[in-house]
Amino acid sequence: MSSREEILNRLRGNVRETYDFPDLGFRKLEFADPVAQYVETTVTTAGARVFEIKPTDDLNEKIREAYPDAKIIASNVPGIKADKNPDTVERAQDLEDVDVGVIKGEVACAENGCVWIPQTMKEKAVCFASETLVILVSKQNIVSNMHEAYERIKFNDYGFGTFISGPSKTADIEQSLVYGAQAARGVTIFLTE
Amino acid sequence: MSTKHSIAAEKFNQDSGRVTRHDQTFWSVRSKRDGLAYQLEEWEQLRESANLIKKHTITHLADYLEQFETNARKNGVHVHWAKDADEYNDIVMQIMREHNVKKVVKSKSMLTEECHLNDNLIRHGIDVVETDLGERILQLMEIPPSHIVMPAIHVTREEVAACFREKGIIEKHGAHAAEGLLKEGEDWRTSSDPTYLTRAARYHLRDNFMEADCGMTGGNFGIAETGDIVVCTNEGNADMSTSIPKLHIVSIGLEKIIPNYKAMGVFQRLLARHGTGQATTVYTSHFRKPRPGAEMHIILVDNGRSSILGNIEHWQTLKCMRCGACMNTCPVYRRSGGYSYTYFIPGPIGVNLGMLKDKDANYHNCSACSLCMSCDNVCPVKVDLSTQIYKWRQELDSMGHADPMKKMMSAGMQTLFEHPSLYTTALKFAPLANHVPAFMTNIKANAWCYGHTMPEFAKESFHTLWKKGKVK
Repeated sequence: MSSREEILNRLRGNVRETYDFPDLGFRKLEFADPVAQYVETTVTTAGARVFEIKPTDDLNEKIREAYPDAKIIASNVPGIKADKNPDTVERAQDLEDVDVGVIKGEVACAENGCVWIPQTMKEKAVCFASETLVILVSKQNIVSNMHEAYERIKFNDYGFGTFISGPSKTADIEQSLVYGAQAARGVTIFLTE
Repeated sequence: MSTKHSIAAEKFNQDSGRVTRHDQTFWSVRSKRDGLAYQLEEWEQLRESANLIKKHTITHLADYLEQFETNARKNGVHVHWAKDADEYNDIVMQIMREHNVKKVVKSKSMLTEECHLNDNLIRHGIDVVETDLGERILQLMEIPPSHIVMPAIHVTREEVAACFREKGIIEKHGAHAAEGLLKEGEDWRTSSDPTYLTRAARYHLRDNFMEADCGMTGGNFGIAETGDIVVCTNEGNADMSTSIPKLHIVSIGLEKIIPNYKAMGVFQRLLARHGTGQATTVYTSHFRKPRPGAEMHIILVDNGRSSILGNIEHWQTLKCMRCGACMNTCPVYRRSGGYSYTYFIPGPIGVNLGMLKDKDANYHNCSACSLCMSCDNVCPVKVDLSTQIYKWRQELDSMGHADPMKKMMSAGMQTLFEHPSLYTTALKFAPLANHVPAFMTNIKANAWCYGHTMPEFAKESFHTLWKKGKVK
C-alpha cells in the first residue's frame, strides 16, 4: 500500500463524529467610505504612501516625483517609461538592481490595506526584488473587508497572486520595527479614478 | 521531584531583567491582539466560524486532501505524500538530486523543523539558508527557535551584531548597509542598531536568493477547491525564495488544508491579528501554478497527524494554525521562555503536541501550566488547550510520572479529610506552627515555602467560629 493510501485510510478510519461547514452569513465590518478608510489604513499601520492621481496627471512624472533618485525603473504596464521589462528580461536575477517596480493592483481592502496583485508578467520578481514599488489601484476597486476581497479576486494563466499591504518589514531584532526586510523597502500607492 | 521544565524555568528566572523583558514583549503582542479584537464586532463570530470550519475540514480531511491533490495536479504541480519524517526527507532529497540542487533558500516552516530537514540537507552536502531574519540569526548562532512566530526575540541586538561580525556579514555588507543610516561618529564595525543590522542581513540574503537553485516554503493554508498554497509573511522572504530559483518545494502538514476561499477569508482575518497583533501580514501569497519555466512540488506530510485524529481527547489539536497566540498570553511561557520546554514547540499548544509525539520525553512540560485558561480564551480556532493539559495530568500517574511528593501529600490529605476527629485535632494545633522559626519551616522538604513565606494559621478556625456563633 502506498503512503497516500495508508494516510487516507487511516484518516477515514479515525473519524468519529462529523461536522458541517458553518453558515458565514453574519454581519461583517463595513465602512461608510471604504476609499477614505483604505487611505487611512495604508498611510498609518501599513506604512505605505498614497498619491491621488487625477485623470489629467502624467503617470511618468508622478513616478519621478515619488522616487526622484530612481535610476532603473521596471514595468510592463502600458504607457510607463521603463528601463526594464519583466516580460522580456532573460532571468529573474536581471531584476535585482531595480529601483522602482511599477505594477497593477486589482482589488484593495480597506480593513487592512491589502492590495491584490495577480501575476501579469513573466518574472514576478519585479513585485518583490525591486527596492521600491509603485502600485496602481483604482478607487472603484476598493472593498471594506477580506471576505469581499476574496470574492472579487481573479487568477490568470500565470497562476500566482499576492496581497501586498505595504513595504516588507520585520521586528525580529528586539521587536524593533524595521521597514525593508527582504523585499520592497518602500511602497507608494497610486490611487486612480 | 521537579520536571525538566521547572528546573530550566528556575534557571531562566535567575536573570530578572531578561524575564521581565521576555514577559513584557509577549504581553505587548497579546495587548495588540486585544486592541484589534475590539475593533471588530464580528470577532467572536469569526472565531466560532474558524473553529467550525476546522472541525468540518478535519473530519472530512481525506476527501479534501483528494480534492486538493486533483486540483494541484491540474495546475501542473507535483504532489507527494509522506507518512513520516524519513519519507519526507527522502522525497526532498530525490527532488533535489533530480535538479542537481546545491543551495536552497528557505522560508520559515515549523514542519521542516519537526522533520529535521536542515540537518538532513547539510548531511547530503546541500547548503541551506534560512531567509526569515529571525530564523537566519538562529541558524548562524546554531540555536533552536524559542517561539514559533518570533523565533529569535530572546536574542539581544548586541548578540546579533556579534554574530554578524563573526560570520563576516558585517565585513562584507556593513559599509554598504550603513550608508545614510548611522549617526555621525557611530562605527558600522561595532554598531548594533537594529535598522542597520536588518539592512546588512538584507544584502547578505540578497546574494543567497540570487545564487540559490531551489526555494522551499511551508504553507499556512492549502485550498482544496483551487489547489492554492497560501503563504503569509511580513518580510517577503517566501516570495523572494520562490521568485528567483526555478524550483519551489512546499512542505505542508495534512491539517493545513481548508475547503475554499470563503474559509480563507475567515482565516486571513484571524491569523495575523492573533499571532502578531497586526490586521494582516504584509504578504498573503497564493501559489497555484509553477512560474514559467519552473517546477513546483507540494509534499503533504502526515508524521503522526492521521493518528491524532483517532485520539478522542486530543484530536482538536489538529485545528491549530500555529499563530502563537497561546504562548503570547501564557503566563508560564512568558516567564519561563521557549527553551524551558522539552519539545521544539513551546507554550500551551507545544505541551499538547509534545505529549502526542512522545509522552515519556515530554511529560515534563505538563507542569508548565497554571490552568488559568487564558490560552483557551485567545485561541482563534478554539482549541481547548488547558482542558487537554489537565487531561494529560490525570494520566501522569498511570504513566509512572506523577510527582512522589505530591502523591504523598495527596494521600496524607485523604487520611486527614476522611477522619473528622484527626482533622479537628490537627486544626486545633495548627496555630502552633506560627511560632516555629522561619528557618525551620522554609526548608526544601516543605515545597510550599519555595518562593512563598509560610501562611499564618488563624488562632481560631472557621469551624470553631461557626460553632460559637461568631460568624455573622
